[in-house]
Amino acid sequence: MLMPEPDQQVIDRRDQICRTLRSIVPADCVIDSTESMRAFDADGLSAYRQLPLAVVLPETVAQIAAVMKWCHQNEIKIVPRGAGTSLSGGALPLADAVLLGLGKFNRILEIDYDNRCVVAQPGVTNLAITHAVQADGFYYAPDPSSQIACSVGGNVAENSGGVHCLKYGLTTNNLLGIEIVTMEGEILRFGGKHLDAGDYDLMGIMTGSEGLLGVVSEVTLRVLQKPATARALLVGFDDTGAAGTAVGDVIAAGIIPAGMEMMDGLAINAAEDFVNAGYPREAAALLIIELDGPAVEVDALIERVEGIVRKAGATSVRVSQSEEERNLFWAGRKSAFPAVGRISPDYLCMDGTIPRRRLPDMMRRIASLSQQYGLRVANVFHAGDGNLHPLILFDANVAGELERAEDFGADILRSCVEMGGVLTGEHGVGVEKRDLMTIQFTEDDLKQQQRLKCAFDPGHLLNPGKVFPHLHRCAELGRLHVHKGKLPHPDLPRF
Amino acid sequence: MADLIATTLAEVKEAVDTTLAANRTLEVRSAGTKRHLGRRLSADSVLDVSGLSGIIDYQPEELVMTLRAGTSMGDVEAALADARQMLAFEPPSMTRVTGEASRGVRGTIGGVVAANLSGPRRLTAGAARDYMLGFEAVSGRGELFKSGGQVMKNVTGYDLSKLICGSYGTLAVMDQITLKTLPAPETSQSLLVACPDFAAAVRVIAEIFATPHEPGAAAILPQVIAGEEGVDTGGAFTAIIRLEGIAASVSDRITNLQAMAGGDILPMEKSVTLWQQIRDVQPLAKKPLDLWKVSCAPGDAPKIVDALDPNMDVRMIADWAGGLLWFAASRSDALGRRLRETVASLESGFAMLVRDVAATREKIPPFQPLKGPMFALHRRVKSAFDPRGVLNVGRMHDGI
Repeated sequence: MLMPEPDQQVIDRRDQICRTLRSIVPADCVIDSTESMRAFDADGLSAYRQLPLAVVLPETVAQIAAVMKWCHQNEIKIVPRGAGTSLSGGALPLADAVLLGLGKFNRILEIDYDNRCVVAQPGVTNLAITHAVQADGFYYAPDPSSQIACSVGGNVAENSGGVHCLKYGLTTNNLLGIEIVTMEGEILRFGGKHLDAGDYDLMGIMTGSEGLLGVVSEVTLRVLQKPATARALLVGFDDTGAAGTAVGDVIAAGIIPAGMEMMDGLAINAAEDFVNAGYPREAAALLIIELDGPAVEVDALIERVEGIVRKAGATSVRVSQSEEERNLFWAGRKSAFPAVGRISPDYLCMDGTIPRRRLPDMMRRIASLSQQYGLRVANVFHAGDGNLHPLILFDANVAGELERAEDFGADILRSCVEMGGVLTGEHGVGVEKRDLMTIQFTEDDLKQQQRLKCAFDPGHLLNPGKVFPHLHRCAELGRLHVHKGKLPHPDLPRF
Repeated sequence: MADLIATTLAEVKEAVDTTLAANRTLEVRSAGTKRHLGRRLSADSVLDVSGLSGIIDYQPEELVMTLRAGTSMGDVEAALADARQMLAFEPPSMTRVTGEASRGVRGTIGGVVAANLSGPRRLTAGAARDYMLGFEAVSGRGELFKSGGQVMKNVTGYDLSKLICGSYGTLAVMDQITLKTLPAPETSQSLLVACPDFAAAVRVIAEIFATPHEPGAAAILPQVIAGEEGVDTGGAFTAIIRLEGIAASVSDRITNLQAMAGGDILPMEKSVTLWQQIRDVQPLAKKPLDLWKVSCAPGDAPKIVDALDPNMDVRMIADWAGGLLWFAASRSDALGRRLRETVASLESGFAMLVRDVAATREKIPPFQPLKGPMFALHRRVKSAFDPRGVLNVGRMHDGI
């Protein structure tokens, strides 16, 4: 992975830069010793590590703005960081960039039940939002697997999903308002406690922009009443194709489960070895289908779903009879990644999405690639929305295996795009999938996206080297070649 | 004012290229049923894109429909009904608001998306922008580009689908659009609760939304209008709460809510009709009056209503639990200014002139004015797609 060439002149000014930063924020908010900066040298994509120029941990929005303004004026790059749980390297530091950590912004500012929302600082963890309102029956719906640690500001930057987004949506669908600080140090608010933008949906564009457009300094999140009940089915199949068909049949019957997860044989057994959830070890595919809502509704739909999956050829069906049993069904799925971690020294987690009907084709493709590369794969899918998480097993201590695993992963993502899908369903592009963007997008597609970047950060100072494989200067991107005429009124300002 | 006609993306590109080269401007139009939204345009030519029409791919079990922007909403609704599915954001029919519907005129899906129009279920299910999965378009630079995709979980690159929704054709000319669809509810009923005043109605709805009985939509009608719609409960205001789902669930939930909040149950058929009336603002749209909509925090709605000049003759209804207020009045620029002042003081929301009868939009900007750095940023975003101001320029704001 090639990152932008660091600017040696900036690195040479490091001491002076840190001194100035200490005059902008309290001195102890600037970390510049190699030892202390080690804690910040990677995010959840730990294969890539880089020490930043310096770490700044501001305490107020005014300090964020002051740091950014000064960096903008002095052409110093900034990499924003929430909790550092990104799986795609979105918060990977750069040698010539200040790492701006939002960890101190950990307060919930307002719980507003009249408007069914919570206003929070960006460093508050995802789960802390639910904790703050659950005594009153509310919760925050998006539930990325890292929710105990990941921050809501990071959730906005990455448009985080979770196992329940089939029914409840991603971050973007549960966000009412944000405050951001631009690279120039301006504080802007998009949205609020009302619905819809009324103008350009800049909140929508900020969500999932991976820290390239602005730094999220406050969020207003919609909270919902927790469903009265939830029950789950654990369904085994002796064929992954039949499991895929069952998923489509449930939705075709007009039922939108709260979650619909699939695991293949290797994942089932790894999880079962790890947590003894009572998974059917002999099954080729396992579905966990969860329904939530009022008890009468859930009971009625559970019956319907049971009928559908049996008709689709289920070899085993268990229906949770208690909260304890439902949690046990999920325990295996939720520990799938660490469980796979026990059977292999290392693994790569992929994150493509395909149209759901292509699931059987994709399973065959992955199996054949697995043979070709000589690496095992455990498959865990958010089957309801076609989001795949193949885990490629490898050993980084064996020469060449990491590269082979990466090539294998890239082939899976290529297949996703070929089948009408996309490179990333929820983990983001970051540095991990940056160079694959050209598989999904044309040069013009990517240039148009970068022109939007130019509207926010024309100097490419904010999180450069992420998302886009080629950086184009904004002046070059803005140039308009008119073929059948020449640019009129060249003296007029063009916004 | 010559019309350019495009039936393919290549023809759209050609039209934009030609217009760029001639240093002229375009008004992008399909059915033209939303021309009353926004500022009046004075473009050199109309680009007629109504020929970019037809459903390309619809797989109900995938919950995905790919179609061209000029497809008539009538065709969209028919295809969805066949599969017992819906656009969950419940797009209103603007031609019922304008009265064109009586002549059989229907808008297009592109218009719905361009104006980000959503109906009563927007409160709980999200807006048009939440169901837009991807699109292909030609920018004001005359360049073909796409964003998003045809799958419902996708974070690859910037989410331009959100931006194109509600951009009123000022950024790009859409052709192919992919939307997420959902199964239509099997049944629905509404609870009608009599309330002594508007604030009480907002409060009772908030209490209902603090239960796990899954209300899906909530509107408020003043007594006169409730009477006109045949749902007068005797209260000065009537709160209407809609529940949807399978029959057993709806009847169980509505019984629980009735035990808590009182009120009468409106059966499915009448409930469906009433909500179509609310969705299409029919209680206010029938008379030739200016129409304003205010999006606000639901809890702020009583403050906005209280701030109205009592001497002004204003009819109103509320949707989205109070978060969407509709006002109708004649010569409404004073009303508009009052609404904008109040909304600005509350620091959340906006007021938009949706229909004007006597050239009100020449007197007051239809979109809530943008200030300082926000205006500058909007101009830069416009410029990122349409640097020369070719497409619908000025529709939303000066130069935008």
